[in-house]
Amino acid sequence: MTVQHHHPSYADRAWQGTVVVEENVRVARDTYRIRFTCPEIARRVLPGQFIMMRLAGTNDPLLGRPLALYEVVPDSGGNPQGLDIVYLTVGKMTRRLALLRPTAPLEVWGPLGNGFPPTATEHLVMVAGGIGQTPFLALAREYLGLQTYGDPPRQAPNAGKITLCYGCRSSEYLAGVGDFERIGVEVRLSTDDGSTGHRGLVTDLIRPVVEQSSLACRIVCCGPEPMMEATAKIARELDLRCQVSLERPMVCGIGICFSCVAKIHDASGRWDYRRTCVEGPVFEAEDVEF
Amino acid sequence: MVASGTFGYAREMAGLVDVARLGGILPKTITRDPRAGNAPPRTIETTGGMLNSIGLDNDGIEAFIDRQLPYLAGLGTAIIVSIAGRTQQEFTRLAARLEGIDGVAALELNISCPNVSGGVDFGTNPAMCEKLVADVRRVCSLPVLAKLTPNVTDICAIARAAEAGGADALSLINTCLGMAVDWRRRRPILGNVLGGLSGPAIKPIALRIVYQVFQAVDVPLVGIGGIATIDDVMEFLVAGASAVQIGTANFYNPTVSTQILDALPVALAELDAGCVADVVGTIEGNDEARMTNDE
Ligand SMILES: Cc1cc2nc3c(=O)[nH]c(=O)nc-3n(C[C@H](O)[C@H](O)[C@H](O)COP(=O)(O)OP(=O)(O)OC[C@H]3O[C@@H](n4cnc5c(N)ncnc54)[C@H](O)[C@@H]3O)c2cc1C
Ligand SMILES: Cc1cc2nc3c(=O)[nH]c(=O)nc-3n(C[C@H](O)[C@H](O)[C@H](O)COP(=O)(O)O)c2cc1C
Ligand code: FES
Repeated sequence: MTVQHHHPSYADRAWQGTVVVEENVRVARDTYRIRFTCPEIARRVLPGQFIMMRLAGTNDPLLGRPLALYEVVPDSGGNPQGLDIVYLTVGKMTRRLALLRPTAPLEVWGPLGNGFPPTATEHLVMVAGGIGQTPFLALAREYLGLQTYGDPPRQAPNAGKITLCYGCRSSEYLAGVGDFERIGVEVRLSTDDGSTGHRGLVTDLIRPVVEQSSLACRIVCCGPEPMMEATAKIARELDLRCQVSLERPMVCGIGICFSCVAKIHDASGRWDYRRTCVEGPVFEAEDVEF
Repeated sequence: MVASGTFGYAREMAGLVDVARLGGILPKTITRDPRAGNAPPRTIETTGGMLNSIGLDNDGIEAFIDRQLPYLAGLGTAIIVSIAGRTQQEFTRLAARLEGIDGVAALELNISCPNVSGGVDFGTNPAMCEKLVADVRRVCSLPVLAKLTPNVTDICAIARAAEAGGADALSLINTCLGMAVDWRRRRPILGNVLGGLSGPAIKPIALRIVYQVFQAVDVPLVGIGGIATIDDVMEFLVAGASAVQIGTANFYNPTVSTQILDALPVALAELDAGCVADVVGTIEGNDEARMTNDE
């Protein structure tokens, strides 16, 4: 079954502007959560969508960086007001981002990309590697009926059960596990060094979850490419629908530079380079040529 | 105007930018046949700039005419179609095909893309350049802009050749050939090894070329290269450009083009200029030093 949902979602509802850092706190090793007020984006953003973020007032780094929505922050009246982003410091921009204090300005544009489409699901199995867990908190909250997203708010069918399979290098990198557990997501962990949970790959966790479940499972996956490829293969073997959120190097995030392409199959099975920022980042795993 | 390859097909930007305010839009360069483009990674950031090796990823001219042009034609701004071919005949056929089609205001000949083999010779060899422009002129009555590459020894020779061939204006410049290396893995970073450098890092090169070519030809010049602010625009105008295109800055500040338009009247007023034409090429300087770079 090839589900064509990768028609372009252009930045028609995106907002660009300067926002101010409200909080920037460490949540795990090399991992931070940054919060800023931006009702324009908060009101419209959907789980799996991302924003582009750029340090203000400098040309080094020059280009924006894509970062996924972690969670929308409500104001006192419960209306979407701010955004939480969780990021790992890996290079030039994210290392400097970690040094920012409240009141520092940031340039952002978004929301961008297509996000996860709302799909009826009995048991949602979320598979995350490294910092790839970030798109899943908002998705879990939506599927558990705790939060609506979008303007007007979209209705997503509730899932009976959600499991997060989450793997990292070692326990000190695990970020936000409590955020998931608190809302009733079953969390299964793996680490490369065995410091927490299963010692080995996060993909080892998928089969047991699916086999123990009496519900119809569906998989969503985000993380390093080899891990997504392995997850896609397992999903195929188990005959489960699987969506992956690709992480390609992006420059503009809005479809105008053609740098973020991935090989995506069309209905006839041929591949073509597709822009992951406007036609993704979420794709049906079976459409992706890894 | 917004530069080819840096504004998609304008649809992508319609939600963010009031495109009708722009002087013109140059959609991504089109070729005769669809091209998948180069293998990723296609871009890498460098200090104050970026390298790209997109490789003219496009769906070909027929798809462009069917699917993009009707939309572009309705945007209320001039659509200047950028074309590239590997051979003289490919260029002239593309130009002939676009002749008389609704919504095309002018053609820009991309004889300068560093990311495809073929095509570039037209931008580095004056005789070939002149003949190409003349041949395009012959089959097509649209205004023709020739977009030149900075990767030549004598830019003025190419500029004069394009003018002699009948170009109505020159677009200066396309990207500067460069590369990025991952020394730990002893590998080039870009999938295509070499790429084109753009962004603020190349502005001094583009300004120099506009300045030099302004002395060498009579046709109007379109300045391109690293433009991101109103100050950049004014520098190009004073150095000899009659118009500018914004490229890479669209990527990191999507509304840059209209921000600059907002700031233009104040900047012109600062020079007591009533319009852009009043400042074009008004730079003063040491005439003897102009054409040389002996030091
Ligand atoms: C749609 C999308 C959503 C994303 N969401 C998030 C998110 O929520 N949180 C988050 O932390 N990141 C996220 N990323 C990844 C993030 O964009 C990059 O980590 C960021 O661009 C790195 O910028 P930098 O300047 O710090 O690193 P750079 O200086 O650009 O890169 C430094 C080095 O790190 C390597 N590198 C780059 N990205 C990664 C990576 N992801 N993992 C490991 N090494 C890397 C590069 O190859 C390079 O060698 C997302 C990416 C995409 C495409
Ligand atoms: C990603 C990218 C794609 C480009 N594609 C094209 C193209 O298709 N045709 C073209 O004539 N120029 C292309 N260019 C060159 C730009 O139009 C412009 O000449 C150059 O980038 C210098 O201007 P800038 O520094 O403002 O970007 C491209 C540039 C970039 C960065
Ligand atoms: S990041 Fe520019 S087209 Fe996708």
